[in-house]
Amino acid sequence: MNKYRALTACLAFIAVNAAATSFEDVFNTNRALHGKGNHFTFEGNSYTTDHPEEIEAMAEATLDNAKALLISANKMHKKAKALGYGWTRTPAILKSAQKALNKGQYQRSMNLSAQAKYHARMGITQHNASAFDWIMFVPE
Amino acid sequence: MKTIVIAVGITLTIMANLSLAANSGDTLDTVDPEADRLALQEHMQSRFPNVPIDDYINGIYALDSGSRAQWEEIEEFPPYEFDIEEGEMLFNTPFTNGKRYADCFDNGGIGIRQNYPFWDNNAEIVITLEKAINNCRKSNGEKPLPWGKGKLAKISAYMAFTSRGNVFNITIPNESALAAYLSGKQNFFSRRGQLNMNCASCHVSGTNILIRADRPSPGLGHVTHFPVFRSKWGALGTLHRRYYGCQKTVRSTPDPMQGKRLSNLEYYQTYMSNGLVVNGPGSRK
Repeated sequence: MNKYRALTACLAFIAVNAAATSFEDVFNTNRALHGKGNHFTFEGNSYTTDHPEEIEAMAEATLDNAKALLISANKMHKKAKALGYGWTRTPAILKSAQKALNKGQYQRSMNLSAQAKYHARMGITQHNASAFDWIMFVPE
Repeated sequence: MKTIVIAVGITLTIMANLSLAANSGDTLDTVDPEADRLALQEHMQSRFPNVPIDDYINGIYALDSGSRAQWEEIEEFPPYEFDIEEGEMLFNTPFTNGKRYADCFDNGGIGIRQNYPFWDNNAEIVITLEKAINNCRKSNGEKPLPWGKGKLAKISAYMAFTSRGNVFNITIPNESALAAYLSGKQNFFSRRGQLNMNCASCHVSGTNILIRADRPSPGLGHVTHFPVFRSKWGALGTLHRRYYGCQKTVRSTPDPMQGKRLSNLEYYQTYMSNGLVVNGPGSRK
């Protein structure tokens, strides 16, 4: 009887953990495996492996769109930096995006802005994750 | 039977993780600096059982005999020797108002390195030795010196040299100081930068594990030998210069030297070295 109880507990544990796999985990796995521009399904729905910033950069390459994306990337970077989680390469990417914008290379500017915005978003995500997971690295 | 063993194994794993989170001290109510210090020592001892705790003042040279042999040869004619002499000269040079650095410090500034950093109750901040040196300059009408290298590092090196052999004794006098300690501890273990690494990635779990041709030093005893003459710099540099470089290496925008975050980090790290002796300045790769 105990044997069956243990087996049930074990199966319940596995089931709970399997269900706990988040969209983020599935997205990250598929992104790592297939890169951008691919598709995967999660809970019956289809999604792309593109980051939200890459989707923003798919808008029509115009002066207004390029400017808007660069402004939002700058804003996001400032936010990450204020939290102490800015990344070192982001300012150079933003600078390149501005240069491309000045030269009228709107698509290039949008791609670079998207990359910088992604860096900044990841910095903020890192800050939020660190706020609770840092303790797991402390030796006991 | 097999299933029972599996179930017990899973349960124990979960319990181990829960107890890790419960005992580590991530709040003001639960943080216990002395337990942290002993846990770090135990961690290092379990990984490197033949290395005496006192030897951690020598950083990676306590663990890697090959590097140690080279370093001992370097220390026969220490590259920081002239810097100590220059630091002494600077330390004894009077300010424009006729006062000296010695007038700002206990015991005339001699043999006091082991008491820094300390918690300043009035200013409600951590005061590092370099900050105290610049505070001394400012209170005597002199311009502060740059934090990372040059004259400040040399004065600090001289003061450390006069303190060699003295035992670190960092105190945490009240709850505000404990909050600063906790903030430093959190900073040490928080992953950051594009490489998603924390200080512990290299200096706790990654200690003495090759990263290309280099072996990261142990976090225990990190601060005892600063300022250091690094071969890479070709000059003497302060602890905060090293922090700045580490943060850039993991592609994280570095915190300002002697700002609150890095000062708190130094407070935490120096507390971890309580009981070890001052052996600064040192030489490193």
